[in-house]
Amino acid sequence: MINLICEVSKYLCLLFMILYTVKCFSIMSSKDEEENNSALNKQIVYVFLIHFFCFLILYLRLQQVKILVFYGIQIFVAIFYMVIFHSIYKDSSRLLTNNMAFLLLVGYIILTRLNFSLAVKQFIFATVGLFITSFIPIIIVKWKKLKDMGTLYGVVGILFLLTVFVPGLGFSNYGSRNWIHIGKLSLQPMEFVKILFVFFVACMLVKANTFKDLFVNALISAGFMGVLVLEKDLGAAVIFYITYVFLVYLATSRPIFLVGGVSLGVGAVLAAYALFKDSLFAHVMVRVEAWRDPFAHIDTGGYQVSQSLFAIGTGGYTGSGLTLGKAGTIPVSESDFIFSAICEEMGVIFGLCLILVIISIFLSFVNVAMKCRRPFYKYAAFGFATIYIVQSLLNLGGVTKFIPSTGVTLPLISYGVSSVISTLVIFTIVQGICIINNKEAVKYEKEKARIRANAAEPRRRIPQ
Amino acid sequence: MPLSPEEEFLNKEKERAKNNKIKNRPILVITYMMIFIYLLLFGYIIYFMQFKAESIIANSRNIRQDSFADVVERGDIITSDGVVIATSTTDEEGNTTRSYPYSNMFAHLAGYDSYGKSGLELQGNFYMLRSHINIFERIYRQLKEEKNRGDNLITTVDYKLQSTAYNALGSCNGAVVVIEPDSGRILAMVSKPDFDPNNIDGVWEYLKTEEGAESTILLNRATQGQYAPGSTFKVVTLLEYIRENPDSYLDYAYDCHGSDIYTGVNISCIGGSVHGEQTLKDSLANSCNTSFANIGSTLDFGKFRETAEELLFNSELPFDGEYAKSSFVIKASSPADQMPQTAIGQGDTKITPLHNAMLAAAIANGGVLMKPYLIQAVENDDGATIKKFSSKSYGSIMTSEEADILIDNMKAVCDYGSGARYFSGLSYDVAGKTGTAEYDDEGNCNSWFIGFSNPDNPDIVVCVIVEDYQIYGVSGAWVARQIFDAYYQ
Repeated sequence: MINLICEVSKYLCLLFMILYTVKCFSIMSSKDEEENNSALNKQIVYVFLIHFFCFLILYLRLQQVKILVFYGIQIFVAIFYMVIFHSIYKDSSRLLTNNMAFLLLVGYIILTRLNFSLAVKQFIFATVGLFITSFIPIIIVKWKKLKDMGTLYGVVGILFLLTVFVPGLGFSNYGSRNWIHIGKLSLQPMEFVKILFVFFVACMLVKANTFKDLFVNALISAGFMGVLVLEKDLGAAVIFYITYVFLVYLATSRPIFLVGGVSLGVGAVLAAYALFKDSLFAHVMVRVEAWRDPFAHIDTGGYQVSQSLFAIGTGGYTGSGLTLGKAGTIPVSESDFIFSAICEEMGVIFGLCLILVIISIFLSFVNVAMKCRRPFYKYAAFGFATIYIVQSLLNLGGVTKFIPSTGVTLPLISYGVSSVISTLVIFTIVQGICIINNKEAVKYEKEKARIRANAAEPRRRIPQ
Repeated sequence: MPLSPEEEFLNKEKERAKNNKIKNRPILVITYMMIFIYLLLFGYIIYFMQFKAESIIANSRNIRQDSFADVVERGDIITSDGVVIATSTTDEEGNTTRSYPYSNMFAHLAGYDSYGKSGLELQGNFYMLRSHINIFERIYRQLKEEKNRGDNLITTVDYKLQSTAYNALGSCNGAVVVIEPDSGRILAMVSKPDFDPNNIDGVWEYLKTEEGAESTILLNRATQGQYAPGSTFKVVTLLEYIRENPDSYLDYAYDCHGSDIYTGVNISCIGGSVHGEQTLKDSLANSCNTSFANIGSTLDFGKFRETAEELLFNSELPFDGEYAKSSFVIKASSPADQMPQTAIGQGDTKITPLHNAMLAAAIANGGVLMKPYLIQAVENDDGATIKKFSSKSYGSIMTSEEADILIDNMKAVCDYGSGARYFSGLSYDVAGKTGTAEYDDEGNCNSWFIGFSNPDNPDIVVCVIVEDYQIYGVSGAWVARQIFDAYYQ
């Protein structure tokens, strides 16, 4: 009987996942507000159904009461957040709020399956993060000086990145020195610095009028990436670099900066490969080898990717069902390789839908950037869109052997205190910019209406 | 005319909107770019699932395979002529038992599935634990908590040839390998002594006893038994002689007196026979030891090793199951007194029956070795083909001219030489080589035969080794004859 319920729940889960994904895109393409509102409400229903069925399976398979309690608390926090956030920020994007909650809940589901105590830890930090970041939109809207602090962002950003080299504070993990200890907490400064970096580049580009300005800006940005390379955090360096190139292209509108930037990046990678493949980047070489043929290096560098591909392939399109796979045997399945764990047990169809949801979040970010009329906010919104989509690509591509694995997290789903909180910050900043856009649009509509009204009765305006 | 402030506002707004649109162009470019890359990723994952996943998860390092057994009833192993040689039954409580209707006959070939795995149970494990019955039945059974029927493994082995080989060996120890030379399909593979895979618990108990510990019943002699090749190796010596004397080998002549001494080693012909005047062909046909020791004394040690290694001695074989490597020890620096024994297949040369069969198969196939294989297809429970395994060429291990010469000489063996007793005057022709390989100094010997029928367009290759010929009197050629007869019946 338990089997029956679990099997049915698995297929229902896939069904609601598909419906949820479809709604993401139908909401974006439709302008009918009423229709969208009902679609957004349906989305919330789907999220809760997916979440419910997954926890039903987890409870039936594992038979632990703590899972039920955990489920209840999650639902309470999620509803509370969705209701409160939207009633405070009426001009925020509900689709973005839905997607944010959805990704968090998917993360909780798979983490509960993999490691209950990690799931609880993730939940606690994410909840604290949700509370703190709910103040961010108002800061973005009210604090006009945000765009004048370029130098500060730059200095603080680089200093914060450098903390990993402070003895006793910073430490290495998986070959990269990109962690710091604060008490019992381990953090990745890079996760927070990427936000400062976007603000820094946006500020500088707004002010840059001459080639010299651009050049100084480039030098400081190169400083960020230099520190990341020294930390051997290549994944982060790639994210920073691509974000920088895209933003310069956006600010200058000159395709040469896009083409040149990408070529320079590829050239730098090839040069670094030729010069340092045996020394500084030996651990990167291992990953490239493992990417080319993971099974030939299954006992060494190819172990992770091999296990990941076994997991995805064996799970199949519909997945083994939660707890029935061997997702726990994929190395770091709770953070970097969480997508493989999801594919194995919840199905590749679920994974593919998840990718579509991630694309739709990117498009929401881009949409906010496009509507923005003030360059600083436009650059910032687009910078965050880039960071989000590039980081997701590095993660998804890495675990599926599409590209070499670089060891970055899947935002909001992977376990990781720094990763979750910084992503929440990014989402709420974009929400803040979205609110500014909507307010301006409303102001503009009001002004237009007022002028129209005046034009209809011109005589009144004649001075006496 | 100056603009009114209202018009000014609207114009300004229009201008701003236009500027914004221009400003947004890079965003659009990059967005399309990123979406394009994501579409590639999306397509790649689907491609991976459709075309790559099956072969990747079949990797024996994928620990997930065995968990399939919880939901799938292991599929059958079926011969190419449709005889089920391993099957599963599941009782009401969901416990699956494996049974082998022909007990010992397919013991090493099919292998066993408890206490570890062996044979086809190991090689085809993954396929038999996958179920490709239609999706509705699959879901229906899943809901009923019944196991799905796993896919069936169709082996290349032919029941008729296997049972003939099994019965012909009788109570002797030894091995038989039958191969289709132009495809590499293995038609029969027998090894004795054997065991009953239905009673694997008993087998394990037996192995714990003193007698059992010394027995080698689990060893698949066909692929892992390393035997001295005896006179069958003269085919290799002959090939080397032809290679070193391409223009004059037909002029070879030797007068056999029954025994002779070469570099201090006394070589005599079997059973004290005196062969008299021998051409090269006669030497092979009559399996004249003294003549071949004489040939050996003319050969270049280094080149001989090269030839042997081209024929896959001292190297991996193109075969997917478990096997032992064959060995050939002579090298350029070897002492001269190693050669006489080596040239007649004694000494330290060791070969497995599978490898000897592969050599005969390559000769039969014009020098091209086809990779021998045991699994030809995977079918679902309804008989629909899920996966087909096609034959693969390993490449040429000798030229087709060399193969033709060898065939011509091997025909003589069965026409008027040592094999004529068994193969002359039949409805089909056979080319082959007999062999008697001594394995100690007391006259104990094993009897070999390698050869193929219908030499002009060979049908099947048979390789037989029967141990302790001096006790049982069952020769390899006689066993081979039974198999050829069964094939042409």
